[in-house]
Amino acid sequence: MDGFKTQLKASLQFRLSFILSAVIVAVAGIAGVFSFFSALDEAHELQDDVLYQIAELMDQQHLVLAPGNASAHLADGDQDSYIIIQRLGPPAAGYRPPPEGALSLPGNLAEGMHTLESRGDTYRVLVKSRPSGERVAIAQETDFRDGIARESALRTLMPFLILVPILLLIIPRLVRRLFQPMAGLSGEIDRRSFEDLSPVPDRHLPTEVRPFVIAINRLLTRLARSRETQRRFVADAAHELRSPMTALSLQAERLGESDLPPSARERLSALRQGIQRGRNLLDQLLSLAKAQSAVDPAITPGPTSIPVLYRRVLEDLIPQAQAKAVDLGVTQVPDIRIQASELDLGAIIRNLVDNAIRYTPVGGRIDLSAREVGDMVELCVSDTGPGIPIPERKRVFDPFYRVLGTEQVGSGLGLAIVRTIVARLGADIDLDFSDVAAETGLKVTIRFRQTPSA
Amino acid sequence: MRVLLVEDDPMIGQVVRDALQDAAYAADWVRNGQAALDALAAQHYDLALLDLGLPGKDGLEVLDTLRARRNLIPVLIITARDALHDRLRGLDAGADDYILKPFDMAELLARMRAVIRRRNGQASPMLDNGVVTLDLATKQACAQDGSPVQLSGREFSLLQALLMRPGAILSRAELEDRLYGWGEEVESNAVEFLIHALRRKLGHDVIRNVRGLGWMVSKHS
Repeated sequence: MDGFKTQLKASLQFRLSFILSAVIVAVAGIAGVFSFFSALDEAHELQDDVLYQIAELMDQQHLVLAPGNASAHLADGDQDSYIIIQRLGPPAAGYRPPPEGALSLPGNLAEGMHTLESRGDTYRVLVKSRPSGERVAIAQETDFRDGIARESALRTLMPFLILVPILLLIIPRLVRRLFQPMAGLSGEIDRRSFEDLSPVPDRHLPTEVRPFVIAINRLLTRLARSRETQRRFVADAAHELRSPMTALSLQAERLGESDLPPSARERLSALRQGIQRGRNLLDQLLSLAKAQSAVDPAITPGPTSIPVLYRRVLEDLIPQAQAKAVDLGVTQVPDIRIQASELDLGAIIRNLVDNAIRYTPVGGRIDLSAREVGDMVELCVSDTGPGIPIPERKRVFDPFYRVLGTEQVGSGLGLAIVRTIVARLGADIDLDFSDVAAETGLKVTIRFRQTPSA
Repeated sequence: MRVLLVEDDPMIGQVVRDALQDAAYAADWVRNGQAALDALAAQHYDLALLDLGLPGKDGLEVLDTLRARRNLIPVLIITARDALHDRLRGLDAGADDYILKPFDMAELLARMRAVIRRRNGQASPMLDNGVVTLDLATKQACAQDGSPVQLSGREFSLLQALLMRPGAILSRAELEDRLYGWGEEVESNAVEFLIHALRRKLGHDVIRNVRGLGWMVSKHS
C-alpha cells in the first residue's frame, strides 16, 4: 500500500492512469444507476399503457364479459403473465365470493390505477367504468411486471459492464503509450557521450513536453558555452605563456653560447631542462585544449593510413627512444585505414609512445601494432615498463595524475589528452599489463569501430 | 646579410636580435606592422622575421601589403598560433616558412639559412645530416670524422634517398623503388646488402633500422 502511495505521488503516468480509471468507474456507476431506474420506470409506464389500451379496446369493440365468468384468463402462456379482467360488483350488491382465478377486490375501488394486495401477491389494477355502467378491473401481477422491467433495465447496464473493464485495461496502456516520447527522450539524453552537448531534437514532441526540452537545450547551450570559455581560457593562458617562455628559453640558449666556467654550464644545463619541461607542459596544455574543442573544420577527417601514421610518429620519437636505448618498433601493421584525422590519431599514438618511452627502463622495448578484429580496428602500444596497477587504472586518465612511486617528469596530461580524443572519436581505450602473468608492462589498446568506407 | 625582425614582445625581440648579431647578421628590430612596412620600403633586407600577433596591423596584413607591393623579400613567420588554418593562411599569403613559439635559436638560424638558400636557387650539391655528407656530383660520402669514400651507383642512390629527408623512415618497398627502374628485376635482400655495405664504409650508426618499418638516417642534431 505504501508502494502504491509513493508510486501515485511520484509517477505522473501512474497518477493519470489511476485518476482516469477512477473517474471512469464513478461516471459509469452514476450513469448505470440513472439508466437503470429510468429504464425501470419506462417499462412500468409501458405496462400501465397496456392495461389502458385493453380497457379502451374493450369499450371500442363493445366487448362484454361473460356473466358467469367474472374474470378472463388467457389460456396459454406463462401463468404469471396473465392479465386478469373482472367485473367489480356494485358496492350495494353486497359481498360475493370471487370466482376461481378472480381477485378479491373491494367493490368501491375508485377509477384509475391501483396497486393492491390480493391472494398473497401484489397486482397492478386499472379500474374503469364502462358506458354500460358496468365497472371493470384489469389487473396484472406486479412481480411479473417488475421482473420484466428489471430485466430490461439490467440490459441497459450491459454496455457499461462490458466497456468499463475494457477501458480499465486500455487506459494504462494508452497512457504509457502517450508517455513514450518522454521515455524515449530521457533514454536518448542518457545514452549521450560525455562530450556531446548538442541540442536535443524537439520535433515530434507533444507541446507539453517541448518547453522542458527547450529549457534543457538552453541549459546545454549555456553549459557548452561555459565549457568553451574554460577551454579557451586554458588555450589563451598557454598561448600567453608562450612568449615569456620563448624569451626565457632563448636567453638560456644564448647564455650557453658564451664562455662559462664548467660549474655554471652545469647549472645552465639544469635550468634549460626545467625550461624544456615548462615548454612541454605548455604544448600539452594546448593539445588538451585543442582535443576538447569542437572539430576544426580545416582538418580533413581522414581516412588515415595506419602504417603512414605509425611511421610519422616513430620518425618524431625515434631520437628520444634511441637516447634511452629503447628498442622502439612495429610488430604488425596491415594497411588499415581509419576514418579519423591524422592530427587526432597522431596525438593519440604520439602521447602513448611518449609515455612508453618515459616509463620504459633503459634497454627496454616498445611495440606498436594494429589489427582488424571483426568490424573493429585495434591499435596497440605495449612496453616493458612497470605497467599500471589495476587500482590506479581509472585515475591515470585524470589530468596531472601520476602513478605513485614514479619520478617521471612528464606533463601529466598525456593520457588525459588521449582519453579526450578517443572519446571524441567514439573509440574505446583499454589498459592492461603487457605481460599479464608477471604483472608488468603497459599495454594500451584502442578500438575503433570501422565504418564501411564509402 | 641584413635581416628585419618584426616582434612586439620586448624580451623576445631583444634576445633574438642579439642572437642574430652573434650569428653575424645585421639585424634591425621593429615592434609593429607599420614600422615594418616603412623599414622594408626604405631599406633592402635579405630576410624578414615576422611575428603574426602584432599590435595594430597584424603580421598577415603586413605580409599581404608586402606582396601586394610586389616586394618578394623572403619572409619567415614566427607565430604562437598553431591552429592549422593560421599556418596555411600564412603560407598562402606568401610566407616562405614558419616557426612556432617557443623555438630554439639554432632551429631559427637553420630555417633562415634554408629559406635564403632556396630563394637564391643554389641547391647545394651536397646532402648532409650532421653525421654523413654526400657529394651529389662525385658520389663520394664522408662520415663525420672520416675520409671521403667512393660509393657504387646503387649505394649512392640508396644513401641519397635517405639523406633527402633526414629523420624520415623509408620502407623496403620505397627504397627498392628508388633503386630499380620499371621492368628491372628486384633482387631479394638487395636493400639489406647495400645497407650492410654502406655501414661497413661509413660506420654502423650512419643508417638506422626502425623495427617493422624500414630505415632512416638521423636528423640534424
